[in-house]
Amino acid sequence: MGLEDIPVTVETGAADLTGNAQALLGEIAALLQRMLATGEGGAIDLASLPFSPADRSWLEQRLGRGEVEIRLMAAGLSTFNETACPGVWWVSHHNEAGIRVSELIEVARIPELVAAHPDDVKIGLERLNNLINELD
Amino acid sequence: MNKHGNLLENLAWQGISRRSFLKYCATLASLMALPPTAGRAMAEALARAPRPSVIWLPFQECTGCTESITRSHSPSIEGLIFDSISLDYQETLMAAAGHQAEEVLHKVVAENEGKFVLIIDGSVATGLDGAYSCIAGRSNLDLLREVGPKAAAIVAVGSCAAFGGIPKAKPNPTGAVAVSDIIRDKPVVNIPGCPPIPVVMTGVLAHFITFGSLPELDRLGRPRAFFGETIHDRCYRRPFYDQGKFAKTFDDDGARKGWCLFELGCKGPVTYNACAHVKWNDGTSFPIESGHGCIGCSEPDFWDAGGFYKALSMPADPLKFVAGAAVAGAAVGVAVSIANRARKGAAKAAHETATLADLEK
Ligand code: SF4
Ligand code: SF4
Repeated sequence: MGLEDIPVTVETGAADLTGNAQALLGEIAALLQRMLATGEGGAIDLASLPFSPADRSWLEQRLGRGEVEIRLMAAGLSTFNETACPGVWWVSHHNEAGIRVSELIEVARIPELVAAHPDDVKIGLERLNNLINELD
Repeated sequence: MNKHGNLLENLAWQGISRRSFLKYCATLASLMALPPTAGRAMAEALARAPRPSVIWLPFQECTGCTESITRSHSPSIEGLIFDSISLDYQETLMAAAGHQAEEVLHKVVAENEGKFVLIIDGSVATGLDGAYSCIAGRSNLDLLREVGPKAAAIVAVGSCAAFGGIPKAKPNPTGAVAVSDIIRDKPVVNIPGCPPIPVVMTGVLAHFITFGSLPELDRLGRPRAFFGETIHDRCYRRPFYDQGKFAKTFDDDGARKGWCLFELGCKGPVTYNACAHVKWNDGTSFPIESGHGCIGCSEPDFWDAGGFYKALSMPADPLKFVAGAAVAGAAVGVAVSIANRARKGAAKAAHETATLADLEK
């Protein structure tokens, strides 16, 4: 007998929207408006909301996919997918084991983690200068 | 490891990039219910912070809490943050032993008076003047009375240190009490759970290092960020509870469909902990996802709170009592406990042997 013979079919409440996903659309719109007005974006932590799997896929479908997909390899994979609304990013962080550890909606022109930090840029510049010096 | 640089330098030394660290802080902020932007502030402060001295005293315990925390990830930023604090005294982990170890303890306490963080796991045995649990010939009670008042902050890790836990369960042969029963003049942060969730401890340490203060605590001394909501509040089976769809046994159709485990004794509605969203085993799942109800391990006296398989019969949240679903749930609960009693009564009347399951309920 294999695992597939065990008659477990887990329902996930798939058909059931809690209403939380719908409410979130308004919140995202407010963050976008704030970013347009003040330049300051924001983020909504999806893991901290009582979301059913149905809510999650509903939201993912409504927001759709935009033009940009960013993959970041830092202590596991992180993905930043632009939604069909520019400035709204679907962000998933995974750990080294490939398990999703957090999921956010980020409202920003470029996701915060993606931009290079000035201190790191300095280190990069140093490295580049060393390379140039080695040339002569 | 370079033990003298700041945290970020230490992490770089280990090949952990700034982005990895920022990602970790963003996740930590999310888990601590801080605004997502707090991740950056936290990262900056953590990166600059000097490493606080930490003394960890194991009292009447099973080492499960140490296991939970030291085996949380490997290798991970969490582990490295932990590495990066100056864990000066931890009997299970330190290389020194015997007199050498005791000397370290007294030296660190003397040199860092008022500055070190004291972590305790295990309850404090008070029977026979504390003789039930001793380290190097001194009772835990004695040691706590000496070292406790000199700490900057005390963190009681695990249900035993926080509330007395299983050692305190009836009939409590060793006179076990919680750390906060002995130390009364300074706040004790309680991180209950049997075992506690590792990231909660990192979170409290990170908060202390970042803001120089302890996180906001609830009336039982638990950090609100992690213990502000019940398992039930965040349970993915909640829609089934609200619809009144309950598994009646562990292998019925409802159980297979993943319905709510309330009638099977789930203590989620009265248990404050972060399992449902932080999860266990590197974020894999939590007990309810494995098909077993919450046993309420992070609540005071959970061991004596009736059977693990006995359904709660009170409405979980009186404030939500007016909501139809809660009323339905509560009503079901009452019905279940009456049915259980009836079953037990019938078994007794017929002089049948009641099964273990009957007794439990
Ligand atoms: S009673 Fe238990 S299984 Fe049911 S929704 Fe609440 S926490 Fe989840
Ligand atoms: S689900 Fe409940 S019993 Fe299980 S670890 Fe969490 S608080 Fe403890």
